[in-house]
This record gives sequence, structure tokens and C-alpha cells, in this order.
Amino acid sequence: MSGRLGRLGRFLPALALAAAIGLAAPVSEAQAPKHGGTLRFVMPYEPPTLSAVNNTSTPNTSSKIWDGLVTYDFDLNPLPQLATSWTLSPDGLVYTFKLRDGVTWHDGKPFTSEDVAFSLLRLKAGHPRGRSTFANVKEVQTPDRLTAVVVLTQPSPYFLVALGPSESPMVPKHLFEGVDVATPPGPNLHVGTGPFVLKEWVRGSHAVLDRNPNYWDKPKPYVDRVIIRFMTDAAARAAAFEAGDLDLGGSNPVPLSDMARFKANPKFAVDDRVFAYPGSQFQMFFNLDTPILKDKKVREAIAHAIDIDAIVETVFYGYAKKSPSAISVALAPFHDPSIKGRAFDVALSNRLLDEAGHRRAANGFRFPMRLLINPFIDARLAEFIRQSLRRVGIEANTERLEFGAYVRAVYTDRAFDLTIESLSNTFDPTVGVQRGYWSKNFRPGLPFSNSANYSNPEVDRILEAAAVEIDPVKRKALWFQFQRLVFDDIPSVDLVAPIQVILANAKLKNYAPGAEGLGSNFADAHFVD
Amino acid sequence: MTAVAQSARPRRRSAAARAVRSFLRNPAAVVGVVFLASALAMALAAPWLYPEDPLSMVARPYLWPGQNPRYPLGTDSLGRDVAAGVVWGARISLLVGFSAMAIGVATGILVGSTAGYFGGWIDDLLVRVMEVFQTAPAFLLLIVLVAILSPSVDAVIFGIGVVTWPTIARLVRAEFRAIREKDFVTAARGLGYGHARIIFVEILPNALPPIIVTASVMVATAILMESALSFMGLGDPNQISWGSMIGSGREALRTAWFLTAIPGVAIVVTVLALNLIGDGLNDALNPRLAERE
Repeated sequence: MSGRLGRLGRFLPALALAAAIGLAAPVSEAQAPKHGGTLRFVMPYEPPTLSAVNNTSTPNTSSKIWDGLVTYDFDLNPLPQLATSWTLSPDGLVYTFKLRDGVTWHDGKPFTSEDVAFSLLRLKAGHPRGRSTFANVKEVQTPDRLTAVVVLTQPSPYFLVALGPSESPMVPKHLFEGVDVATPPGPNLHVGTGPFVLKEWVRGSHAVLDRNPNYWDKPKPYVDRVIIRFMTDAAARAAAFEAGDLDLGGSNPVPLSDMARFKANPKFAVDDRVFAYPGSQFQMFFNLDTPILKDKKVREAIAHAIDIDAIVETVFYGYAKKSPSAISVALAPFHDPSIKGRAFDVALSNRLLDEAGHRRAANGFRFPMRLLINPFIDARLAEFIRQSLRRVGIEANTERLEFGAYVRAVYTDRAFDLTIESLSNTFDPTVGVQRGYWSKNFRPGLPFSNSANYSNPEVDRILEAAAVEIDPVKRKALWFQFQRLVFDDIPSVDLVAPIQVILANAKLKNYAPGAEGLGSNFADAHFVD
Repeated sequence: MTAVAQSARPRRRSAAARAVRSFLRNPAAVVGVVFLASALAMALAAPWLYPEDPLSMVARPYLWPGQNPRYPLGTDSLGRDVAAGVVWGARISLLVGFSAMAIGVATGILVGSTAGYFGGWIDDLLVRVMEVFQTAPAFLLLIVLVAILSPSVDAVIFGIGVVTWPTIARLVRAEFRAIREKDFVTAARGLGYGHARIIFVEILPNALPPIIVTASVMVATAILMESALSFMGLGDPNQISWGSMIGSGREALRTAWFLTAIPGVAIVVTVLALNLIGDGLNDALNPRLAERE
């Protein structure tokens, strides 16, 4: 008896110490994740490369192989990854990163500040978003092996949020140097510092990633292997999940209409968290070059004709959040919750259209409108809006184009009146929102630019001020002003933030430990019995 | 009137009457006609049966058939009336089926008869062109065409016509090569008839039976192709068609199978009807079977 107490006695100070350190040991010994198992992760398409170094379509594969300098908690606060600490100079122009010691690339070569400098400049040159997020990067100095100093031409408050592994992978200079910036890196270049190593890639089927035994964050990763399967058909993915062939899938891995069935099945976990990093947002832009749409009354009428709550319920089966402001509810730190959207009111909409001088003709219609939709969005959203507009006498005709033709029609030929877009807000409004509303970004030919041709000098001023404001409070106030102005001008009707539902094996834990969601690195993912 | 024509016309008329009699005695063919006639009637009556836009959202989503008597076949994922969709879908399916067949047959006859009648280098050239079309997978070619033209009913009709004409062209060419050596053609040529008159008035009527049979099956093929396109989301998004109903219902196959089954049955019945009619025509127009009577 006394012996047992004695052991406990010796143990108590240790417990107290652990408590004092706080969350240093969040999981007790008994709950320590066990090693082993194969995580079978499904992707809805097969990208030409798994690396996000020069595209925005592979955040969920890239982060397993390549680390970023930092990663994020759910509120977008940076956490160390390859950088252990960082400081910002008072003028907001110089970031100094201290790098982790002893990190090696999958091929055994050491990771150094040279790689960081190379990667940042390469992202600036070749990454679709990096070209703007890192536009202010003047140079990256490497005073020693483990220090990288980033010098900016002007303050960039979004810089530190753009360094996650899913957005800005750190790639090895010794392999990527001399490789064309725009070409998707092939399998021989799939060498990172991340928790998993590419073993084989069977085109059209799957890629096998093995556990990196030399990963710097020991004892992670916990699973022995990650198999990424490429399956384009949602119904087939649902069948594979039910057959026990898949453990994890994101971005609506199974048809939303099937979700209720999976929810009822104890073998699966349906995860409907909204992650801040992608900042998902669906909105409808007006082409302000269309004469009828120059009249704000018409745009207001169209906004009143759309029942966003019904869209959430029918089109998205409840898996979306009403998001009526230009900054998505998913991007909570910047979203203005006081903007409630325009009420669904058919009578008001009809009256506004009558007042604007567009009376119904004999066939019941007032005027025709070309309605386009980004093909990555469920076409049912276009059908819903088409019928909503027809109800108030606007003869909306849907044009459903494949992706290339869609981008050309909207951003080059401007052959549209209304377009349903998914201009994601990403992790920061300067990166994700400004592009759609800044008059200087009306650049025909540039995809995902200001498709409305919206121009308001006051909005431009706010956008430009927010891009360099390093005081978070002042910056938030600027973004609130921006949202109010855009809401009043109606260059777009903001609709919903889709919930990118994750379906997981109920035994799989901790697959999305931060704001990047499935774009995190799976180092923490593990199976429980 | 010439001797050739005088001898040919009455024979043809009696042959036609015999073919109709033989066709109507074939129960399967009559069933086909009845099915096709009902689909046609449905298509024609659509504006009276369902004056509303069949794409409008009228009720609660996922009503099952029979759950609400106003919507006897239920509603889909956006609350659109399935019965209205089936009736309006018949219009698109039949319109596309018959129009695409007309384009295919007209092009096929023109090219096939020219190649078969003239022979020589014209034949060589046209056969090469046909081979280009026949070696490209028809459905893939169709997808490419529709994607380039941007999805609309006209584009779909044109596309199906373009990918199906070589079938008719080869058939017509073979018939023409056989018939152009016949005595009555030589006689017509001897009388100084022009090429066009010999092709269209003398040879073509004698080559018609296999063309008619193939055309009926081509309508069925065109309907299937349109359905497949719509199923893949490449149909006209402003028109409801049976294929697009299956395409949008497929997502809910496990929870609301009727959304796929109902338009599926409509396609099966219509295509089956056309095939039965094709078989019936084949029997009725085949002179060797006629001799057995």
C-alpha cells in the first residue's frame, strides 16, 4: 500500500509540472497515438503533379511531401514548421526566420536557408497566387545556414499567412534549380522535407507515400503509409467508402444527398467544419458592361429574387453557410457579420424591375440574361438561380461550359451577363478578395480578375490601404468599410460559403489539426482501436 | 413518259402496298408503332399538359411517386416535377432523334450516291473521307464537337448528324455500285438522262429499303447519344431531356432511385419501339421474304 502511494508520491510533482507547462503535453501517456496503419485518402481528380509549387489545385497532396515555413491553428495564428521562430521589423519590411536545425530532404541532403530563399523566389515567379502574395518580396538574404531574412518593398500583412505547406511548399534548390518554372514537377522532383515520401505513382489510379522515418517532428508521423487514390466519380467514391476501401476524402467526397446515410453509419465520421485557410465563397458577379445591369435598381432586384436560405437547404443539403458579404463567413477574422444580405422578396424584385422600366412582354419576360457558372460548382446552383430569375420575369439562359471555355468566356471574351463564381477568399482578403473588386485588376484575359469591371475609387483606396496596413485593428476596420461599400454598390451577389464536407473513417483521428484542413500534413493523423 | 418509268412505277406502288400489309401483320412492329406514337403524342401535348416551365421548382424536393397526387411521378432534388420533365423530355429526345437522322441520312445519301454512282477518283476520295469519320470514335468526336460549339440543342443535332452520316453513306454507296450496272440504268443512260436524274429518280428509289431500315435505327441511336451527352452534362442546360434527368438523378441513385429509373424507362421504351419498327420494316421491305408469301 505504502509502496503504491510512494510511487504515486514520486509521480505527483511530475504531474504538477506538466500542468504548470500547460498544454505542453496535451495527450496523456495512455492516449498517445499508436503507430501503424495505412491511410487511404481519395482525391476527386488526378493533378499533373502532387506539388503545389506552381499551381493552386494540389494543396491536399503537396503538404504531405513538402513542409512550409509555418502552419496555422484554426484561427490562422502561425505555428512553427520549418521555421522555429520569426520576427518582423517595426517598419513591417523585414521578416527574419530562424530555421529548424537537422532537417534533411528525402534524398538525405540538408535543408538550409538557401532552399528557403530559392523557394520563395520561385513561388513569386511561378505560383498563380504567389505572383501577387510575394510581389513585394525584394530579396531573401541568407546570413547563415539557419537564418533567412526576407526584405519587402512595402508592408505585407498577409505575408506570414501565405507560408503554409499547402500554399507555399519549400522545395530543394539542388533539384529544382534549372527546372522550368511553369512545368508541373515530375515524380523525380517529388523530394521534400515532409512526413511522407513518394514511393510510386500509378497514373490514373493512385500514388503511394511511405512514412518518412527521418521526419524532424518525432515520433510523428504515426501512419506507415498514405495511399492517395484518384477517383473522379462521386458515386464510385461513395461505394468505395462503404466497401471499406477509403479512409478519408475532402471537398464533398460523396454526393451530398448520400451524406445522411453516412452520418447514420457509426463506421464513418462526417466532418462539416469550415476551415479558414481556403476561405471558400460562392458569389454571382454582374457584368457591369451589360447596359441593363449598369442600373443599380436592376442589380438590387436580382439580389432580392434569390432565396439564399433555400439555396443552402436544397442545393447544398444544408452543407453551406449563408455568406452575404464580399468577405466570406469562412474568413471569420475579416467577415462583417452585420451585413445580412438582401431579403428574398419576389414582389419587391418585380416592383424594382418595373420601376427600372423593364416591363414584362407578352411572353412574360422582361429581358434575357446569359447566366454562366464555373464548372467546378454544382450545376444545380445555376439551375436554382436561373429559375429564381425567371420567376421575376428575367429570361435567364444557362450556358454550361467546360473549364477552359468558361474562363475564356468570362475573363477574355466577357461574353456573359451574370456568372456564378467561386472566387475563394483564401487566407487573406488582400490575396483572395481584392482581385475581384479592385478597378486596377480589371484585366481582360487574366483569369479570376475583376470580372464585373467594378470601379469605385473609394473601394480602390481602401483595398490599397488594407494591403499595407500592419495594425490588425485598423486593417479589420478597413475591410469592414470595404464590405459595406461593396454591399451597397452590388457588383456581386454574395451567396454562400460551401462547407467542404470531409468524410472519414471513424477510427481515423486528427487528420485536420488546423486551419488548412486536409491541406495539413497528416503527420498527426492516426488510427484508434 | 418513257418506257423505263412506265414499267417501274406501278411495280413500285404495288410493292409498297404489299410492304405496308406485311408490316401491319407483324405484331412486334405494331407494338413499336404504338409506343412511338404515344411518345409522339406526349411530346406534342406537352404545352397543354404542363404549361409551366418543366425546369421550375414547384414543390418540396424528393417527393416520392404517389406521395402527392399533384406530382404523380414525384419531384427531383430541386423540387421539379418529374412527370413534367418526362413529357417535355420527349420533345427534345424525338426532336434530336429525327432531326439528327435527317441530317445524317441526307448527307449520307448525297455522299454515298456520288461515290457509288461515279466511282473512280471521286469514289476514292469520298471513301477516304468516310474512313476518317469512321475511324474516329463516334461518341468522342461528338463530345468534342459539342464542346466546341457550346452545348445547345442545335449543336447536339448537328454533332450527331456529323458522326452518323458515314453509316448511311457506305450503305448507299454499296447499293449504288450494285444497281448502277443494272439494265434499266444502262437504258436510262442510253436515253440521255442527266446524272442527277438517274441518281435520284432511277437508282435511289430502288436503294431505299435498306436506307429506311437503317434510318429508323439511327433515330434510336441519336436518342441514345443525346441522352448520353445530357447525362454527362453536355446537353442544352436550358432544356430538360431524359438524359439530363438521369444525369442529375444519378447522384441520388441510392436514396431516390426513381429519379433515374423513370426517364430511363422512357428512353428504353422509345428506343425499343424504334428498333421494333426497324425490324418490322426490314422484314416488310425484304423482297426475298415477300416471295415466300
